[in-house]
Amino acid sequence: MTVPLPLLEIKNLTKSYGAVKAVADVSIHIDRGEIAGLIGPNGSGKSTFFDCSTGLARPDAGTVILDGQDITGWSLNRIAREGRMLRSFQKTVTFKALDVEENLIIAGQMFTFPSIAATFGLGKRSRSRIDGLRERARELIKMAGLWDVRHQPAGNLSGGQQKLIQFASMLMPEPKLILLDEPMAGINPKIIERVVDTILYANRSLGVSFLVIEHNIDVVTSICQRVIVLDQGAKLVEGLPHDIVQDQRVREAYLGG
Amino acid sequence: MLSTVLEQVVNGIVTGSVYAIVAVGMTMIFGVLRAINFAHGEYYMLGTFGAWFAVDYLGLSYEASIVVGILATIVVAYVVGQLVMRRMVGAPAESGVLATLGIALILQNAVIFVFGGGYKFFSGGYIEPISILGFSLAQQRILILVVCLVVFVGLELMVTYSRLGMAMRAVSQNVECCEVVGIDVPQVVLRTFILGAALAALSGVLTAPVNVSVYGGMGELITFKTLPIIIMGGLGNVRGTFFAAMILGIAESLVATYVGLQFRDTVGFATLILVLMWRPYGLFSTQARF
Amino acid sequence: MSLTETVQQARRRDLRIPLAAVLVVIALAAPYIGSRYVTHSLIIALIFMLPAHGLNLLVGYTGLLSLAQAAFFGIGAYTAGLLAVTYGTPFYVNLIAAGVVSGAIALPLGIPALRLRSTSFVMCTLGFVIIGQAISKNWVSLTRGDMGLSGIPKPYFELGPLSFSVSGTTNFYYLALAIGALATFAAWAIVRSPAGRNMVAIRENETLAESLGVPTWHYKLIVFMLSAVFAGIGGCLYAYYLTVVSPLTFQMYYSTTMLIIVLGGGAGMISGTVFGSLLFVGLTEALRITPELRMIAYGFCLLVLVFWFKKGFAPLINRFWNVIGGVK
Repeated sequence: MTVPLPLLEIKNLTKSYGAVKAVADVSIHIDRGEIAGLIGPNGSGKSTFFDCSTGLARPDAGTVILDGQDITGWSLNRIAREGRMLRSFQKTVTFKALDVEENLIIAGQMFTFPSIAATFGLGKRSRSRIDGLRERARELIKMAGLWDVRHQPAGNLSGGQQKLIQFASMLMPEPKLILLDEPMAGINPKIIERVVDTILYANRSLGVSFLVIEHNIDVVTSICQRVIVLDQGAKLVEGLPHDIVQDQRVREAYLGG
Repeated sequence: MLSTVLEQVVNGIVTGSVYAIVAVGMTMIFGVLRAINFAHGEYYMLGTFGAWFAVDYLGLSYEASIVVGILATIVVAYVVGQLVMRRMVGAPAESGVLATLGIALILQNAVIFVFGGGYKFFSGGYIEPISILGFSLAQQRILILVVCLVVFVGLELMVTYSRLGMAMRAVSQNVECCEVVGIDVPQVVLRTFILGAALAALSGVLTAPVNVSVYGGMGELITFKTLPIIIMGGLGNVRGTFFAAMILGIAESLVATYVGLQFRDTVGFATLILVLMWRPYGLFSTQARF
Repeated sequence: MSLTETVQQARRRDLRIPLAAVLVVIALAAPYIGSRYVTHSLIIALIFMLPAHGLNLLVGYTGLLSLAQAAFFGIGAYTAGLLAVTYGTPFYVNLIAAGVVSGAIALPLGIPALRLRSTSFVMCTLGFVIIGQAISKNWVSLTRGDMGLSGIPKPYFELGPLSFSVSGTTNFYYLALAIGALATFAAWAIVRSPAGRNMVAIRENETLAESLGVPTWHYKLIVFMLSAVFAGIGGCLYAYYLTVVSPLTFQMYYSTTMLIIVLGGGAGMISGTVFGSLLFVGLTEALRITPELRMIAYGFCLLVLVFWFKKGFAPLINRFWNVIGGVK
């Protein structure tokens, strides 16, 4: 019997800023089709861990293996483009001056065009590729409930709506894995529900796996199949959401050890 | 041989002093505004023109012309500060670049328009040489050296102990916090700017007797010299600026003597580009994060 | 359908195509409408429009403020001048060479410069202009120093049995107009392509673009090189028009002029750059404003554009265009 290869495997990841060890020797894996949660008190190294896994920062040591391929040291854009592993940011970011549809088309472009040179094309092929992207963008816009505002500049929309744009953008390239950095921070409960629905839809219907950093513990327990807890840069424990919530060590970490 | 080298070094230090007095104002302005003042050399030019005007048209003595040059510059700096520099608080870096480029164009060409584009002869100052330790050095050059030292010691004391100095340090640390604790940031910016412009004018007035020629484009040249200095000195760093100015002054003097005079004016920018290549992220912020 | 609507429809006839046609006719007939001096002013405007288009790609679309444009303008001028004077190569070869050489030099300059952020990048690009001028002054064996290169022949074409040389202001105007139109089309094609969308994404938010798979570094480098190609071609045309090239081609003032064209016309808009070069270069040239006053005016323009009129004339042009097109 062979054990199926995990989709993402991170081994012994370490990152220091000066004398501070932000992440120390953390190893995790994400299985195919899984929604995993990453929690931990503020300053526990979650964001640094994300940055090092996705190429925004370079880890000091450790390896990142995506779908059997070693992607350690790849740049952020290459990991996204070639690895189809995307990430969101804690602050809501969109291309504010561009309308919703354009935001999504940009997100899909580099996955549709085979090379940078091809993106300079204006011919029929190029146009039909963009038309395909527009169609897909419209579907996702409908799903995210942004149809009525699709021609408005993203910057004019509410924080929650921009969060949805960001989320829909990440679905444009048919990703394998999405890393979400606090998707629920600062948005109202109605939109939270919408985001949860979208995550579940992407997971079940599109087969996207997730790793989610989230402080909202209700959301974590309702959507995650497995939760990993970081504390002071190291992995504290991992397990089922239900067990994690009960875990004494996790409670101590949160209440301030 | 050795004495020529030494002589060039001494000359370089004098040139460095001139640059230092200009550059220190520019670096302080960067400290409070986070913007490079591309018009800074123009205040040097204004000071020189003010003094030249006082000597040539008003028939005043050199001593009086120093005062006239600096006062004229302060008046212009006040107007520019009120109308433009105050608005730059919190504006993106690019706006600062464009706005100060605009000011440089206006000041430089207004002076050319009024006084003509030709070279003017500056008469005045203490040009008789005196000899110290076997060197023959014009008195004016010694005066420049002394003033430079006085300026830097004075600034060091001011930044450390005076109210304005403390406010300047606070603003350069964190603008939002200053607003919260009630420091009038635009006012601090305005005062720092006027102080910097006045120092540039002082430098111009002191150098005029040595350089002799006065012309409208002289400010731009000084701006291009001081830009590399403030980068190398570490933006906002008064002491670093002093040393960087001295290094550039000496380097220029040696290059002019041993490589060729025509290469003198490129030393600064060549160095700047090398420094920027060497530490691209060390000098400014790193990659944006969210 | 009610009557009022029909009436409104009738009133809102699309006037854009007729207007565009009128503009084309005016452009073609300009040498016969205005005086020779007006034609000269238009040539200067068309020449400066080329580097301005390049700068617009860089500043307006990709969000990189650069002062290096005069350096590439100068490199193009010297490339064309040297080829024409030393080897006597035909005009179109020199035109292409000027673009290619400028673009090629932009690669080694862009690689280190683009690693810098905001103000550092601006200063580095300013350094290119200053160092370019120093090289053109001091590499006497190649550039003849301050004397410059003179005696650049008239543009000469040889197409099989046909050959003709472009002499006189009117003919040169048509040459500049043709190249200007091609460059405008090229710039339009670039920004309308998917790559243009990526450029705007980089301007809006570089890290976000990066996270969506856009290789921002490559795009910035390509756009930097493209902007140099535009500037190089403009420099070539400038050299041929003046028939001399001197170190004064490397001037900060030229970079500032190009910036004013782009920002004043409306950054991130092709028609803005066309309009900007006509207004800020063509008009000031035609009115024979003394250089000092012109630069003072430029200075005030910069201040106004930065603090009060951030989008330049672009929104006004857009509104006008929509109004005559009947779009509210």
